[in-house]
Amino acid sequence: MFKNYFKIAIRNLWKSKGFTFINIAGLAIGLSCFILIALYVVDELSYDRFYPNAERIYRVDADIKFGGNQLNLCVSSDPMGPTLKKDYPQVEEYTRIYSSEGDKLVRKGNDYINEEKIVYADSTFFRIFPQTVLSGDAKTALFEPNTVVLSETAAKKYFSTTNASGQTIEIDKKPFKVTAVIKDMPHNSHFHFDFIMSMKNVEYGWNNYLSHNFQTYILLKPGTDYHAFEKNFQQVLDKYVLVQAKQYMPGLNSMAEFRKSGNYLDYFLMPLTKIHLYSNRFPEFEANGNIQYVYIFSAVALFILLIACINFMNLSTARSVNRAKEVGIRKVLGTGKKNLVAQFLSESTLMAIISLALAVAIAYFTLPLFNKVAAKSLNSKSIFSSNFFPFLVALPFVVGVLAGLYPAFFLSKFKPVVVLKGKINAGFKKNIFRSGLVVFQFFTSIVLIIATVVVFKQLQFIQTTNLGFNKSQVLMIQGAGALEKNDAVFKNAVLELPGVKSGTMSGYLPVTSSRSDNTYSKDAVMDPKNALSMQSWVVDYDYINTMDMQIVKGRNFSKNFGTDSTAVILNETAARVLGYEDPVGKKLYQDYQDQNGTRKIVLNVIGVVKDFHFESLRQNIFPLGLRLGHNNSIISFKISGTNVKPLISQIQNKWKALAPGMPFSYRFMDEAFTNMYRAEQRVEQVSITFAILAILIACLGLFGLVTYMAEQRTKEIGVRKVLGATVPNLVAMLSKDFLKLVGIASLIAFPVAWWAMHKWLQDFAYRINIEWWVFLLAAFIALFIALLTVSVQAIKAAIANPVKSLRTE
Amino acid sequence: MIKITELEKVYRTEEVETIALNKLTMEVKDGEFVAVMGPSGCGKSTLLNILGLLDDPDNGSFMFNNIEVAHFNERKRADLRKHNIGFVFQSFNLIDELTVFENVELPLIYTGVKAAERKKRVEEVLDKVQIMHRRNHYPQQLSGGQQQRVAVARAVVNHPKLILADEPTGNLDSHNGNEVMELLTELNEQGTTIVMVTHSEHDARYSHRIIRMLDGQTVTENVLV
Repeated sequence: MFKNYFKIAIRNLWKSKGFTFINIAGLAIGLSCFILIALYVVDELSYDRFYPNAERIYRVDADIKFGGNQLNLCVSSDPMGPTLKKDYPQVEEYTRIYSSEGDKLVRKGNDYINEEKIVYADSTFFRIFPQTVLSGDAKTALFEPNTVVLSETAAKKYFSTTNASGQTIEIDKKPFKVTAVIKDMPHNSHFHFDFIMSMKNVEYGWNNYLSHNFQTYILLKPGTDYHAFEKNFQQVLDKYVLVQAKQYMPGLNSMAEFRKSGNYLDYFLMPLTKIHLYSNRFPEFEANGNIQYVYIFSAVALFILLIACINFMNLSTARSVNRAKEVGIRKVLGTGKKNLVAQFLSESTLMAIISLALAVAIAYFTLPLFNKVAAKSLNSKSIFSSNFFPFLVALPFVVGVLAGLYPAFFLSKFKPVVVLKGKINAGFKKNIFRSGLVVFQFFTSIVLIIATVVVFKQLQFIQTTNLGFNKSQVLMIQGAGALEKNDAVFKNAVLELPGVKSGTMSGYLPVTSSRSDNTYSKDAVMDPKNALSMQSWVVDYDYINTMDMQIVKGRNFSKNFGTDSTAVILNETAARVLGYEDPVGKKLYQDYQDQNGTRKIVLNVIGVVKDFHFESLRQNIFPLGLRLGHNNSIISFKISGTNVKPLISQIQNKWKALAPGMPFSYRFMDEAFTNMYRAEQRVEQVSITFAILAILIACLGLFGLVTYMAEQRTKEIGVRKVLGATVPNLVAMLSKDFLKLVGIASLIAFPVAWWAMHKWLQDFAYRINIEWWVFLLAAFIALFIALLTVSVQAIKAAIANPVKSLRTE
Repeated sequence: MIKITELEKVYRTEEVETIALNKLTMEVKDGEFVAVMGPSGCGKSTLLNILGLLDDPDNGSFMFNNIEVAHFNERKRADLRKHNIGFVFQSFNLIDELTVFENVELPLIYTGVKAAERKKRVEEVLDKVQIMHRRNHYPQQLSGGQQQRVAVARAVVNHPKLILADEPTGNLDSHNGNEVMELLTELNEQGTTIVMVTHSEHDARYSHRIIRMLDGQTVTENVLV
């Protein structure tokens, strides 16, 4: 029976090649999108689940609002982990990671290599995050100071072997003993470290509940409800944090009072398996994924697959006249409705199987491209992996039934008497269902076009908006700390080169770079009402000039004033939060804490700098203060546009002379700026790609429908021509109905797209308004493409000689 | 009205060359009713298509109202056609999706007549062919004779100077056939020129003159009146 079905199915598909081609091409494209996105989604959902106790591991996160500043942190204070373990038996273990020191120079022979994936961790790290050990013993690896665990990559890079434990490696000019080598962390981990050094090497003002610098993970005992556990943080606040806060704010009596003053300090637990998709805090180890994008991608994949299935439904029902006679004859011969349905379903399933084979091939070859667009590193082999393949096998049956069910029932319900008399003319007349499907296809396409335009406009807005500083022609020399005492010599030497306008030494830049928060108060005694929590950046005399920032009140730092070491320049927001109309001449107080204890520092406000965007435009501008000091991790030069390459090599020569063996690395500021919007660029690329695909598949279907319709109406076209219809008359007649559908689709798409994009734009504190012309443009594009598709066939039908069409009686 | 001289039309397929019209010369005067007869393949239909400006000749001259139209392009032919010529086909060629009224209205739409004027003229002509009571029906709901009357109505609604009828009774029984022939005669008496291709000697007798064709040429002409 099945063999018979498939034999007929193959012949039928072969007989109408055009129709088959359109369906298979559309389905194959739809399915390949679906496969790629399924791979992506499966991968996104798999993050950190491979750790044996993943379900019991939580990160301690903090939300802080204080002194006009608002922070969403994924770090907590250094005593948080130990305190939780000591006070709460539900906590089985904790581990902390410290990464605030950033990149480090690692020595290889006579050269130094800048390593980024380098952190300090407690020795318990491997108890919570077990790794595959290649040599040494991870359990005891980080007990002692001056010990380090290397990844496979790092071990091979520095020792050409994974059997490197026992060796010594020089990190930031200090010797460390390699105590273990672990396999590189799986790609679906939310962190990847090449060097894990012992926490005992961290120099820090320990036991400070008010400073948040440690990623702290806890392992809860089985059966612990983490939401219930989170209530304990209040006790920690009352018992420990308040005591320390009182040292700075003697008037503070309780945390409740703190909250009453409009501030807050809240701790909560972030489940490990949710970090990748739900966490976007500061400072994440790596750019995480986003559950929103998982939803968007999945929806788009489903919609594209649906569009392709719709092509099948539409063309099958449109072709029904051709099949009606066959149905009639089969019914006369005694075939039941059930058998007919089965036959049509096997046809659609067969087509889905062929499409799937093609789709797998397409997916296999386009995966590298997809990886680029989605910023993933999916392996093409995973298409055939044991947990994905069964899904693939099931797919064509689902799609076959989905696409085939409606046509199957539509076709098999024809009455043989009517059909065989040739009276059926269901061919192309108004079919609301089919029209609805076409509307759906174009609805999807138009929404995607609007999304593309809005994302594009927002990115353009980001690129062209006045940031309060000038990011163009700024060359950033990174890792300049390696120059050590030669930094000023280097800076001056570069400034002498023709084409270099100015230079500044500071690791604090308005692109992704160093950040530090400090708390100040208006009065000598701090309380929650007079406090100002702000970014404090260490800069030099030339910073404001080089960055093209604008002083709006007071003055810049100047060598003519001996007292500028206690000077601070505020941004406008900081001035506003302090409530000063003109803060110049006012004082700020800071409790400064280091290993030697706490001191009070008094700062003089000497100027106000115009607000500039130092974080991405997703965020509002928060208070910031510039302090004069020495920070040489980056030296930036403003250069003139011409001959950049030779200039860089000249700079490199100076570097080589002053920092022999040290890695020279540079970056342009506008490039660093653009990198802050990778996620948005990804959305743009994804929406462009999928908009094109959706339109392409929809138009394939439209083309099929029009071809078929023109064929059906050949006689009518002939008659109309004889009666005096011109070619434009006829093209208009044939296109009108379809364009009407596209019009309806636009009207439905407008509010949906507006809502979706409005929501997307909410992620940005600084954003565009969605203008009305975006909608018209999208509708116009869709109409234009649809018209193009339709008119090709319509014109062909319209210019045909009516003599011929009327003769075919 | 029509004067054709040494008209030639050759159909070529890959292997065969068929001479449909072989230096045909003929004339139709204003107000005449001419029947064209001849066996299948003699070139009747080709002649009718050329007269109807649906097809163009390969050679020769075709004067329509004293204008040479043999080499008119598609647009000019369509323009001339819709203002001057009405067609009646053997198989009616009504559009199934349109009602009787809409079918008849169609030529007026293409010549740009205003809606109110259209309604008046369509009703007038439907009255004339006595099908007014069926104006909102679809072609499928009518008998063959009624359908052909609608087709005739459609052919004359634009007041063409010439009606070309291709076996107008071919699909009708004798009763309905006679009705249609009488309708054509009536139109002719009111001044419309008619050229009709037919196999039926009975129908041909309604005309003034019979042109008999063979192998793309006229062989005889019988004047009946």
